[in-house]
Amino acid sequence: MGKAGKAIGLRRVNDPPLLILTSLAEGPKHGYALSQDIEQFAGVQLSPGALYGAIARLEERGLIEALPEVERRRPYRVTAAGSAELAQAMREMRRVVDVGTHRLGLLKGWLA
Amino acid sequence: MGRSIDHSDDLKWYPRSWREHYGEEFAVFLQDRYGDGPVPMSARLSMIRCGTVERLRTGGIIGSSVNADRRIRGASLLVLCAWGLFVVAGAAFAKYTEHWPLATPQVDHRMPEVAMGLVRVAAAAGVFIVLIAGLVTLPALVALVRTDGWKSMWATIRMMVVSAAVTGTAAIVIVSWNAHLSPSQSVTTPWSLRAAGVVGGLLVVAALAVCLGTVVAIVYRLRLSDQVTRVLGVLAMAMSGALVLIFAGALTWWITTAMHAPWFFGSLVPRSPSSPAPLAMVVMALTMLSGLGLAGFGTVRIAVGMGRSRCAPAPAGRTE
Repeated sequence: MGKAGKAIGLRRVNDPPLLILTSLAEGPKHGYALSQDIEQFAGVQLSPGALYGAIARLEERGLIEALPEVERRRPYRVTAAGSAELAQAMREMRRVVDVGTHRLGLLKGWLA
Repeated sequence: MGRSIDHSDDLKWYPRSWREHYGEEFAVFLQDRYGDGPVPMSARLSMIRCGTVERLRTGGIIGSSVNADRRIRGASLLVLCAWGLFVVAGAAFAKYTEHWPLATPQVDHRMPEVAMGLVRVAAAAGVFIVLIAGLVTLPALVALVRTDGWKSMWATIRMMVVSAAVTGTAAIVIVSWNAHLSPSQSVTTPWSLRAAGVVGGLLVVAALAVCLGTVVAIVYRLRLSDQVTRVLGVLAMAMSGALVLIFAGALTWWITTAMHAPWFFGSLVPRSPSSPAPLAMVVMALTMLSGLGLAGFGTVRIAVGMGRSRCAPAPAGRTE
C-alpha cells in the first residue's frame, strides 16, 4: 500500500476513504449518491462529518477529483493514483481473505 | 426540490476555507439525507468532531497537510496556550504558597526557597519570551491593521476588550471591598467576599481564555515571513523549556515542603498531621502537566516543521 493510502486509512474494510474509493470505482458520484451506494454495498451509513472529512482528505491527496457541479451537487471521480491505491489495498485485503479462507477450509476438512 | 432549510449552524464548526470549498454541497447533502426533518444529534456530534479536527488541521496543529510554516505557527500558538494554562496554575500556586516561609520552620527553608526561586525566574523568563514574541510580530500586526482597517480588527478584538473590562471592574470592586474590611472581618473573611473572589478568579480565567483565543485568531491572519515564523518557533521552544523549569521548581517545592512541613497543606499548626496532597495542589499540578503535554506536543511539531522547512525550497512571493 502506498504512503498516501496508509496515511488516510485504506487498511480496514469500513475505513471511510476505502469505502468511498470503492464506490467511485464504479463511476463519478456526489456526496449523497456516495453515501447511498456505500450503505447498499457495505451496510455502513457514514456520518456527514466522516463522509466529507474523508472526501476532503482524498481530494487533498489527489486520490479523487471534483467534477463540475450539477444542481449544486459536486460529483467526484477516482484519479489514476486513487485507482492504484485502491487496487493495492484490495490486493492486501485479498491476501488476508485468502489465508482466512484457506485456513477455514483446512479446519472444515479436519472436523469432517 | 424547493426545500430551503438553513444548515449554516451545522457548518459553523468547520473553518472558513473548508466552508468555502465544501460548504454548499455539504448543505445540499444534509438536505438530501435528512429532508425537512431535524439533523439527528449523532450527525450533529459527528460534524462538531470532524469540524474541530478540520480546524486543527487547517491551523497546522495536527496532520501534515499544511506547509511547514503553518505548522510552526500553529505549534507555536499551542505552546502559547500551554503558557496560558501555566499562568492560571501559577497564579493559584503563588496565592496558595504566599505565606509559606512564615508557616514553616526556618531550618527547612533552603531547598523550597531554591525551588521557589527557580519558579520565579522561569516565570519571568516566560513573560519575557511572550513580550519578545509580541515585538517580533508587531510589524506584521501594524501591516494587518493598515490593510484590513480598524473595523475588521475591532470585530476580532471586541470580545477580548469586553472581557478585560468586565474582569478589571470586578477586580477593582473585590480589591476595594477587601480593603474596607474591619480588622475583625479581615481575620475571618466574610463568605460573600470569598464567593466574590471565586467569581473574580473564574472571570480572570475566562478573560485569559478569550485573550488567548483572540491572539490565536490574529496571529493566523498575520503575514509573517519564514524568518519571523522560525523565530517564533524558537521562542516557543524556549518557552517550553521555561515551563519545564516552572513545573520542576513547583514540584520540588511541593515535595520538600511536604517532607519537612506537611502541616502547611492542612491546619497550619506545626507538627499536626496533614495530607501532603491537598486538592488545590493536585489541581494545580494537573493543570501544569496538561500545559506541559501541550507544550511538548507543540515543540515536537515545531522541530519537525523546522527540519522540513530547511529541506524544502523557499516558497516564492512570501512577504511580511
